[in-house]
Amino acid sequence: MTGGFAVFRDPVLGEEVFAATTSRGLRLRVWPRQHFRETAAAITFAYGSTDLGFDDGGVPVTTPAGMAHYLEHKLFEDEDLHTFERFAARGARVNASTGFTRTTYHFSATSHVRENLQDLLQLVSRAHITPANVDKERGIIAQEVRMYEDAPDHCTLFDLLGCLYGGHPVRHSVGGTVDSIAEITADGLLQCWRAFYRTGNAALAVAGPVEPALVLELAEACSLAAGAPPERHEPSDRGPVAAPRKQRAMQVARPKLLIGCKDRTLDSLVEARLRRQLCTRVLLDRLFAASSEVREDLHRRGLVDDTLGCGYTGERTFGYAVVGCESELPEQAEATLRQVLLRPAPLDEDHLDRVRRRFLGGYVRSFESVRAQAFAHAYEAIEDVPPFAALQRVQSLTLEEVQARQHELLREENLAVAVTQKG
Amino acid sequence: MTRQQRQDARPAVVLEGVQRHSRMVDRFAGFALHHVHGVPVLWHRDPRFKTFRASLSAQRPLDQRTAARALLPALLAHGTQQNPDRPALARAMERLYGGMVAPAIGRIGESSLFRLVAEAVAGEFLPGRPDQLGAALQLLADYAVRPRLDGDGGFPAEIFAREHAQALANAAAVFDDKTAWARQQALLHGCPGEPYAIPEHGGVAAIAEVGRRDPELARDDCLRHGRLYCVAMGALPDDLPSRLEPLLGVLPLRRTGPLPEVVQPERRAPSRTVEHAELQQSKQVLLFRLPVPADAAATCALHVLASMFGGGPHSRLFQQVREQRSLAYYISAGVDVHKGMLVVQTGLDVAAAPAVEAETLAQLALLQQGEFGSEELRTATATITGPFAAIDDSLPSRMHFVAEQWLLGQDQTPAQRLQSYAAVGKEQVVAAAQSIWHDHSYLLAPEDQP
Repeated sequence: MTGGFAVFRDPVLGEEVFAATTSRGLRLRVWPRQHFRETAAAITFAYGSTDLGFDDGGVPVTTPAGMAHYLEHKLFEDEDLHTFERFAARGARVNASTGFTRTTYHFSATSHVRENLQDLLQLVSRAHITPANVDKERGIIAQEVRMYEDAPDHCTLFDLLGCLYGGHPVRHSVGGTVDSIAEITADGLLQCWRAFYRTGNAALAVAGPVEPALVLELAEACSLAAGAPPERHEPSDRGPVAAPRKQRAMQVARPKLLIGCKDRTLDSLVEARLRRQLCTRVLLDRLFAASSEVREDLHRRGLVDDTLGCGYTGERTFGYAVVGCESELPEQAEATLRQVLLRPAPLDEDHLDRVRRRFLGGYVRSFESVRAQAFAHAYEAIEDVPPFAALQRVQSLTLEEVQARQHELLREENLAVAVTQKG
Repeated sequence: MTRQQRQDARPAVVLEGVQRHSRMVDRFAGFALHHVHGVPVLWHRDPRFKTFRASLSAQRPLDQRTAARALLPALLAHGTQQNPDRPALARAMERLYGGMVAPAIGRIGESSLFRLVAEAVAGEFLPGRPDQLGAALQLLADYAVRPRLDGDGGFPAEIFAREHAQALANAAAVFDDKTAWARQQALLHGCPGEPYAIPEHGGVAAIAEVGRRDPELARDDCLRHGRLYCVAMGALPDDLPSRLEPLLGVLPLRRTGPLPEVVQPERRAPSRTVEHAELQQSKQVLLFRLPVPADAAATCALHVLASMFGGGPHSRLFQQVREQRSLAYYISAGVDVHKGMLVVQTGLDVAAAPAVEAETLAQLALLQQGEFGSEELRTATATITGPFAAIDDSLPSRMHFVAEQWLLGQDQTPAQRLQSYAAVGKEQVVAAAQSIWHDHSYLLAPEDQP
C-alpha cells in the first residue's frame, strides 16, 4: 500500500497502476505518466440502456427506453448552461457516452487537472433537472434518435437484437424511440439519477501526469451520493431466439446481412465471462480475420466481400456474436456464413501463437494512450477486475477452451438473421 | 503567395539539402531532416515511446488517376512477392506482434496522398528482442516496389476484378452514411470543375473506367513523379537514416511533377442545391470560401476563427443553434487551409434548415464585425492550444503536424506554433472572418419535402 493505494505492477513493462477505494466507496485507478502532457479521466456508472427496472425503497420502478441516455444529456446542463464553456476555457475536452450497461463521463486536458477533475466529479454529483429543461432537450434527443433510425447499419443491428432477445431490453436502441422518450419526465430522471449515480455504482480512472494523492483527495471530497445501487430487475432471457429472422427495406446501396448468435451460457462471475469473451473473439478471428484462409476462400469464391466483419458482446445478462456483410445476394451469403459458423473451426497452435503475439503488441501499444488507459481502467475497476489480468488471461488460453466455446455457442438454435433489403 | 512560392520560400538550407545524400542538414518543425537517396526524411527519436511509426508518402494532384490510385491499398493487400496472398501478409503482421504495415490513400486539399505506413512495438520491449524495425521496413519496401503482379505488369485479373467491384460497391455505399453523402454531394455541386469535387474514391464513373493495368501505372506514377517524403517517430535507433537506405534505395528514379495551383473561384452569389433521400433527419452543408493562408500566422488565425465559429460545444454555432434555439442535433464547422474552404455541417429537421442557415450567416457576420469579447477569443484559442500542447504524446498526431508543415512550407516546432496561436488577437480573427464568403448551400431533405 502507498498512501492509501494498492500498487499493481504489470509483468511485461513494469508499469504501475494505483488502486484505491474512497471512504465513501468510490473505486479509483490512477496511472501516473509523468513524461506525458495529456491527462485523461473517466468516471463510469454501471447504469445503461438495459437498466429499465429497479426497486426504489421497495417500490418497483419501470422506466421508458432511453432513460440513461436522456439523463446523460441532462447532466451536462447546469444553472448557467456553461459546462462545455468551462472545460473549453481550460483547453479541456469533455464528453460522455451511454451504452447498454454503462454511462461514462470523461475529459482530457493538458493543464488545470485539479479544476477539470473537480468539475467532472461535480457534473455527475449534481443534477439541474427541471420540467422546462427536460422538455427543451426532448427535441434535440428526438433528432438524435431519428438520425440513428436513418442509419441502415444501426437499424439492421437492432432488428437482429430484437430477433435474439424477445424479453430483454438490449433489443431497444440505446437512445430509445421518439415515443419512449416522450414519456420521460424530470421526476423520472431525478429518480434514476438518485438511484444509480452513487459511489458504489461507479469507478473513476485517471491517466497522465498526475499524482495519485491528488486524485484521492478530490475523489474523497466529491459529493456523489454514497452507497450501493438499487436492486435491479435483471432481465433473464436465456431461452431460444425470439424470432429466426427479420427483414426490412430501406434505401441502401446494397442489402445488408447480419447473423447473430445468442449467448445462452452467461456467467455472473466476471472472470469467467471475460474468458468466454476472449475465447469467442479468438474463434471469430480464426474464421474471419484477414489472416484467415477461411475468409480468403469465401472471398475467392465470390461468396462474401471486404465488408465482412464480426464481433462479440458479452455482459452479465446478455451476450451475442454477430457476423455480417453487404451483398447483392444476401441469401447466398447467409447460407455460406451459417455453414462456416456451424462447422468445426480449423483451430491450431500456430494461430493461437499469433493471437498471443498480437495481443502482447496491442498491450504494449495501449500504454501510449492515456485516454485508452483511463477508459480501460475505469471499466475494469467497476467490475472489480484487477489491473493487468488480461495479459495472463490470453497467455493461459488453450485450444481446448476455444473448441469448447465453439460447441457451446455456435449452434443452429442460437442463430438469427436480420436483412435490410434495397427499398 | 502560390503553392510553388511557398515551397520555394522554405529555408535555403532545406533546398540545399535536396542535393545531398544521407547527411544530416538541418531540423524541420522540430524533427531531424536527412535526405536519403534524395527523399527527405523527417524523424525524431523519442525514448518515451515503446513503439515506432514510419511513413513514406507521395503527393500527386487529384485528377483522372484518382480512382486508380484509390484502388491501390486494396490491391496491394493481396500480397507481395515475399508474402504472396492476403492471409500470408496478414500473418506476417501478426508475427510482428500485431504491427501494422499498410498502404493508404488520403487527400489533402486538391492533392491525394499515397502513403505506406508502418507501426509496431520496438523489439527491445519484446521477448527475444526481435528486429521489429527491420521486418517492418522490409514489408514496407515489399509493398512499395515488390507487389504481386502478373507477367504483363498488371495486378492479377481475378484480384483486380474483385477489388474493382468492391471499390464500386464502397463508393455507392457512401450513400448509406447520410452525413458523408451530404458532404460529398455538397462538394460535387459547390465546386463544379474543381479537383476538390473529386471524392477520395475517385467517383463511381471514374472507378468504372479503371482498367486492370491502371492501378499499377498509378503506383509507378506516385513513386516516380510524386512529391515523396518520409516521416518517422518513436522508439527508433540513432541510425535510422542508414536503416532506411534499403527501402529508399530501391525506389525508381524520380522526377517530381508539379502540383497545380489550388483552384479558387472569384467571389460570386451563393448557389443552392436540394437533393432528396429516404430519411427523417435532414443534412445541411454550407460551403464558405477563403484564401489559402499565406503563412503560419494566418493559418493560426483561421483555426481560432473556426473554433470560435463552430469548432465544438463551446462555439457560437453549437451554443446558438443547438443549446439556445434547439434547431439541430449537431452543427460544426471545419476549415481546410490547403484548399481555402470552410464547411459547416448540420443534422436537423428539414423545417429548421432556413433558420439554421440564417443563424449561421448571422453569426459569421457578427464575427466579421468584431462582435466578440476577449473571453470568447481566449476560450476559442484554449480549445486549440489545450489539446495541441499534448501533440508530442501521440506519434500519429505529431507526425501529421510535421507532414502538414512540410506540405505547407511552414517550419514551426509545436512550441513555436503554440506561440503563434497565443499571438492571434481580435484583429487577426476579424480579418480572417472578413476573408470568408458564402458560396454554396446544400440540403439533403426527406423525399416528401419540396
